[in-house]
Amino acid sequence: MRNIRIIARLDIKAPNLVKGIQFEGLRKIGNPSDFALKYYLQGADEIFCDDIVASLYERNSLLDIINSTTNNVFIPITVGGGIRSIEDVTSALNSGADKVSINTAAIKNPSLITEISEKFGSQCMVLSIQAKAKSGNWEAYYDNGRESSGLDVIEWAKKAQDLGVGEIFLTSVDREGTAKGMDIELIKAVTSVVSVPVVASGGVGSLKDVELAVKDGGADAISIAHVLHYEELTINKIRQYCIEKNIPVRKLSEYRA
Amino acid sequence: MSDIVIIDYGHGNLKSIQRGFKEIGKKTILSSNPSVISKANRLVLPGVGSFGSGMRHLEELGLVDAVNGFVEKGNPLLGICLGMQILFNSGTEHGMHKGLGLIPGDVIKIIEKSENGNIRKIPHIGWSALTTLGCQSGWEDSCLNGISDGDYVYFVHSYMAMLEDNKYLLSQCNDEGLLIPAAVKKDNITGLQFHPEKSGRIGLQILSDFSNL
Amino acid sequence: MKNKNILEKYNLPEKVEFCKECTTSNQRPRITFDKNGVCSACNFAKHKQKAINWDKREKELISLLDKHRKNDGSYDVVVPVSGGKDGGFVAHMLKYKYGMNPLTVTWSPSIYTEIGRKNLDNFINIGGFDNILGSVNGKTHQKMARNSFLKMGDNFLPFIYGQANFPLKMAVQHNISLVMYGENGEVEYGGDMTLANSPIKDLSHYDGIFFSNMSPEDWKKEGISKSDIAPYLGPSKIDVERNNTEIHFFGYYHFWDPQECFYYCVKNTGFEVNDVRSEGTYSKYASLDDQTDWLHYFLAYIKFGIGRATSDTAHEVRDGKITREEGMMLVKKFDGELSKKYFEITLNYLNITEKEFWEVVDSWRSPHLWEKDENLQWKLKYTVWMK
Repeated sequence: MRNIRIIARLDIKAPNLVKGIQFEGLRKIGNPSDFALKYYLQGADEIFCDDIVASLYERNSLLDIINSTTNNVFIPITVGGGIRSIEDVTSALNSGADKVSINTAAIKNPSLITEISEKFGSQCMVLSIQAKAKSGNWEAYYDNGRESSGLDVIEWAKKAQDLGVGEIFLTSVDREGTAKGMDIELIKAVTSVVSVPVVASGGVGSLKDVELAVKDGGADAISIAHVLHYEELTINKIRQYCIEKNIPVRKLSEYRA
Repeated sequence: MSDIVIIDYGHGNLKSIQRGFKEIGKKTILSSNPSVISKANRLVLPGVGSFGSGMRHLEELGLVDAVNGFVEKGNPLLGICLGMQILFNSGTEHGMHKGLGLIPGDVIKIIEKSENGNIRKIPHIGWSALTTLGCQSGWEDSCLNGISDGDYVYFVHSYMAMLEDNKYLLSQCNDEGLLIPAAVKKDNITGLQFHPEKSGRIGLQILSDFSNL
Repeated sequence: MKNKNILEKYNLPEKVEFCKECTTSNQRPRITFDKNGVCSACNFAKHKQKAINWDKREKELISLLDKHRKNDGSYDVVVPVSGGKDGGFVAHMLKYKYGMNPLTVTWSPSIYTEIGRKNLDNFINIGGFDNILGSVNGKTHQKMARNSFLKMGDNFLPFIYGQANFPLKMAVQHNISLVMYGENGEVEYGGDMTLANSPIKDLSHYDGIFFSNMSPEDWKKEGISKSDIAPYLGPSKIDVERNNTEIHFFGYYHFWDPQECFYYCVKNTGFEVNDVRSEGTYSKYASLDDQTDWLHYFLAYIKFGIGRATSDTAHEVRDGKITREEGMMLVKKFDGELSKKYFEITLNYLNITEKEFWEVVDSWRSPHLWEKDENLQWKLKYTVWMK
């Protein structure tokens, strides 16, 4: 097993970091750059920044935020929200992003995945899937968990892999923001059909949730928002717990024997 | 004495590298000007994207000679990720492409099946530990001299280098049983498969040591 | 069908003006704008945020509740609820924070949604509340809804009457003097501001017999008999007074924030958001329980140019949840959206054809708000997001 990555997720409505429950009732938490720095210093492995009003304004407003965030944060940053074209990807990468995440644009035009992978490399190209449970399966949603695409998540994940995606960022719409546990069945269903890394997101409420997502779900990385923003857990605690439970993670030199 | 020059050939997270150097107090210049490049004190060849595309852009900008010229002068060159890969003879990403040929070897796709038959996920994304496993030279005279064996750095790549001669191997990482060249060094040329500008404190230490070589 | 004179009926200003700070317009009945073009709801919100001593208000609440608390196992406050976040918040606070024994009272939706029924069940079972659900004879309810739609351009009147009168009726029947609503809608969302500084709804002009100025004889002409209409009526004025009934608004005593009610109810009453956003707006957590309520909001859009997205964004802007800019974009995207999911169900319920539907709807389009574009499609002359 590769080292599991602990990823801090920031949902952003510029200029604020926000957090909701099941993508609803968004509360302002604070300045995104401050939080990104905080998590970097706590030892996060990556940061994921999502512009959640991008489709409303038909533009990505994160470029300024990414610019200022990357001034003092030296771990990989993935940017998502409103990325629709090669130009958008170029702008995002030029601002300091290392990877871009797309959802709506890929659903509407799947060949964009291939275009981006070929031009920038598949390692740059993350597909964000917002999965909503529906009669034993999951349906892919977009526009911040508001609109249903009609696509089956498992089929979509497989197709995306064929199209050249580098990584899948999988969020459970039902669990996100609830801190009631992740949708392990969902994670397992996706990781068992693709051979690209899968980041599991949505519902982490306790340390045990992280363990289940990796050991039972097969996730390669865990994205965490709610419990970090509300300071119920720290990155350190999560890392220590993983080490105790024999989940391979990056060991920071402060903690190595 | 001109500063550190980072080659701008349309590939690579240039600003990140710039910021990394800035954080450790070093000024850098971004340039695609052959004259500026060949006169640099230190040169950084970044790279994100595909081998073929990277080489094509370097050629179109007329920078291949500039890089070669710089290398001949003997000042330190640092290739990062794709920038390390194109130092080799060839790469097989999306077809066979010729590289700069500065270090003997080729770039191939990471093997997708591990020894026990399990699928290895491609790209290799994440934090892996740098080791001196299988390396002949130590780190003292390199940009890795300030970090320790076992320190973690960030990788994200689908292709890896296959050296013709292991004496140029500076560090490897163990990816589920597969040994991947993480750092290579031939005289004044250093290549890093990982991203020091994205490897937190450890990565910044490496950038600092490169600038002090 | 004859065009209804909206300007006269609702006493609206002819020139359309949008509030400078939120997304609502002066076409909302009874709303007022100050000389800076800011609506009364925005001004009230600012007043709420800056000028009210909430500790003092809480003390008033406590002394009110001390007066009514029975401590003998019988109910001491009626809380109108739907299973949603607003009533849920009030009921839970009264019971678990302030030690009251609430009887929660629900006036049934015309056609329950799955999520609406689930949330009411969760409220009862997870929140832990006694609840009375009042359902009117379905045939009568449909007749009433149909008549209100055809005559008054609002299918939702039977719901609105019941929601106002049923809790009062239960209060009188169960000898409970105190009725606690959530927020005073007129005050919070822009309307009659006379009660802005009072916790109490004035019952001195209470008239439990007539509504919409239609007497029982008028209703009989529509085929609705006295016994049909009885369940919608409130108790008699004498009984209301004999019971010492008082209607209070929790929003007077506690800073009212619907989004915070949402968070509270997710935690305490098992509240769940809907699968999909409500049609006509962007949110998933408000007014989820009735399959036909979309039409009520749609008609408001036709009559006043104020749809559900406008109402939702207006209060979220005032509460500081979103910016006015985002509000305008949401209005542009969602306001006035016709329901796909419940269109046919609703028409069947009202027993009208699509042709009749549009005839009625179009008769409420005032020329001061609506015009036809080059493709002969109806278009609002003025929108908040226009340049």
